[in-house]
Amino acid sequence: MDSTGELVLVVEDERSMSRILATSLQARGYRVSVARTGQDALDRCAAEDPAVVILDLGLPDLDGIEVCRRMREWSQSPIIVVTADGAEDRKILALDEGADDYVTKPFSMPELLARLRVAVRHRKAFGPFMDDALLEVGDLVVDTADHQVRLGGRALELTPKEFEFLALLARHQGKVLTHRNILQHVWGPEATGRTEYLRTYANQLRKKLQDDPASPRLVTEPGVGYRLVARE
Amino acid sequence: MLRVDLRSRHPRPVAGLALGLAAVVTVTLVLLPFRSHISRASPALALVLPVVVAGVFGGRLASIATAILAAMAFSLAFIPPVGTLRVAVSDDAVALVVFTVVAIATGTLVALEADRRRSAEQRAEEIEAMHVRFQALVAEQEQLREETGRLAVLEQVDAQRAALLRSVSHDLRSPLASIRAVATDLRAGAPHTEPIRDELLGLVCDEAERLDRIVANLLSLSRIETGALQPDRQAVALDELLGAVATRLTRLFDDVTLDVELTPGLPLLDIDYVQIDQVLTNLLENAVRHSPPGSAVQVSAECAGRAVAVVVSDHGPGIDPSETDELFEPFRTGGASTSTGVGLAICKAIVEAHGGMITASNVPGAGARFRFTLPVRHG
Repeated sequence: MDSTGELVLVVEDERSMSRILATSLQARGYRVSVARTGQDALDRCAAEDPAVVILDLGLPDLDGIEVCRRMREWSQSPIIVVTADGAEDRKILALDEGADDYVTKPFSMPELLARLRVAVRHRKAFGPFMDDALLEVGDLVVDTADHQVRLGGRALELTPKEFEFLALLARHQGKVLTHRNILQHVWGPEATGRTEYLRTYANQLRKKLQDDPASPRLVTEPGVGYRLVARE
Repeated sequence: MLRVDLRSRHPRPVAGLALGLAAVVTVTLVLLPFRSHISRASPALALVLPVVVAGVFGGRLASIATAILAAMAFSLAFIPPVGTLRVAVSDDAVALVVFTVVAIATGTLVALEADRRRSAEQRAEEIEAMHVRFQALVAEQEQLREETGRLAVLEQVDAQRAALLRSVSHDLRSPLASIRAVATDLRAGAPHTEPIRDELLGLVCDEAERLDRIVANLLSLSRIETGALQPDRQAVALDELLGAVATRLTRLFDDVTLDVELTPGLPLLDIDYVQIDQVLTNLLENAVRHSPPGSAVQVSAECAGRAVAVVVSDHGPGIDPSETDELFEPFRTGGASTSTGVGLAICKAIVEAHGGMITASNVPGAGARFRFTLPVRHG
C-alpha cells in the first residue's frame, strides 16, 4: 500500500466493517489504523495524530459521544461519526461535541469517501486552527476584519446577523454545524430552540449568494443543521 | 293453587274469603245429612276448619269474615230452629257466641302465624338473593384478578417482543451495512486490484452467511415459541460434526485460531444433527466475537457419565458476573454495540430439548467457558 498517504483512524468494533473500511481505504492510498474500543481509539489518536477519524458511535467500552468529547479536548483531527439509522439525537449530540461530519449506517462507500476527502482537504487547507480574518470558500470570500463578503469579486450586502451566520459557517467550512450550535453563536444562548430563525436567514442568504438549488453553497442537513461548501 | 298461595308474599283476602266460604258451604252440606245423629260440637269443630283455611290464605280480615259466615252457617243448619238465624235455647246462644269467639281467635292466630311465616320466607328469599349476588361479585372479582394477571403477562410478552425487535434489527443491520458499503464501492467503479476485489467480495459472502445464521436462529426461536423444537435424533460422531462446523466457519477464524481437543474413542451421540450444528455455530461465533485478535478459541469434549460434555472457551473479557443469570435469557439487550442476540437462548433450548444442560462460567485467568452435555447413542 501507499505508505505516504494520509492516516485515517477507523474506530469500529464490528470486525467485518473495520476490515472493509481498512481494505477500501488502503486501496485508495490512505494509511489506516483500526481501533476496536473507545480507549484504544483515544490512545491511537494521541500517538498517531491521524488526518481524519472515522468514529462509530456504538462502542463496547465507552460511549462514542464521550470519545468525541475527549478527543476534542486535545486533538484537532476532523471526526466523521458513523451512527445507526434512527439515532438522530446521538448524531446531533456528537456534532455538538465537536464532530465535523456524519454518515448513517448503512452508508454508501462513495459517500463516505467524499466526506473523507472534504475532511482531509479541510485540514490541509486550514491547518489545525481557523482564525484567519480572510475566509475563502471557493469563489466566496468572507472578510471578518472588514465585515465584507465578496462573491466572485462582487461585494454582497448582508445584514449583521446574515453576516455572522455566514462567517460562522465559513470559519468551519465543509463541517456540519448543528442548529443549536449556530443559534448559540449568532443569536445567543437563550435562542437555542428558535430553529425558525435559521430557516429564514438561510433562505435570505441563499438568495443573496444566488445559490443553485440543485447544488447550493449553503447546504441544509435535514433535522441536524447547515454546512457551507465550496462551489466554483 | 295451594303451592302458589303458600309461596305468595302477601295474604289474598278475596281468594281467602272465597276459599273460606266454599269450605263453610262444603262442611255444612257434608254434615247436614247427619244432623240428627251427631252432637252440636262436631259441626262447630268442623266449621273452625274453613276459618283456619281463610286465615292461612286470606289473612286476618278474611278469617274474621269467614268466622262470621261459619257462625251463621252453624246457626242456620245446626241450631234449632233450623233454617233461621234465631236461637231458641240459651245454651245454644252461649255455644254460638263461644264458637264465634273461638273461630275469630283461631282465624286471627292462624293469619298472624301465616304472616310471620310468609315474612320469614321472604327474608330467607332475600338472604338467598343476596347470597347469589355476593357469589356473583366474588366470581367477578376473581375474573378481574385473572384478567389483571393475563394483562401483566401480555405486557411482559410485549416488552420481550420489543427487545427482540431491537436486538434483531441491530443484528441484521451490521451485516447489511457491510454488504451495502462494498456493493456501493464496487458499483461506483472502484479501481480495485483483483486481490482486493476478491477480498471485498469474500467479506460480502461472509456477511451474507452471517445473515443466514441470524435467520436460522430466528426460525429456531419461533419453533421454540410454538413448542415445535423436537430433536430428530440420529447417531452422530462429534468429530465429524465439529469438523463440518469448523470448515464452514473457517473465514470467521481469520485472526483467531481454533483448537479442537477431543478425547479419543468418544461414543456416538444421539442428537439432531442440524440443531447441535446450530449450538456449536452459535457458541463458536460468540467466542470469536469476544476474542482479542491473535488469541485462540478452544473446543474440547470428554465422557461425563452417560453423556458427552463439550466445552467451548475463549480468551476474551469473560462474562460480567452481573449478567451470568440472564446470559441464556432471550431478547436481553447487551451493550451499545456488541450484539447479544438470541443465540445463547437458542443453545439452551436445544440442549435442554436433548435432555442435556448448558452452563457458563469464567476461566480463571481470562475468558468465558461454555459447557454443555449431549446424550450418548445406546445399542
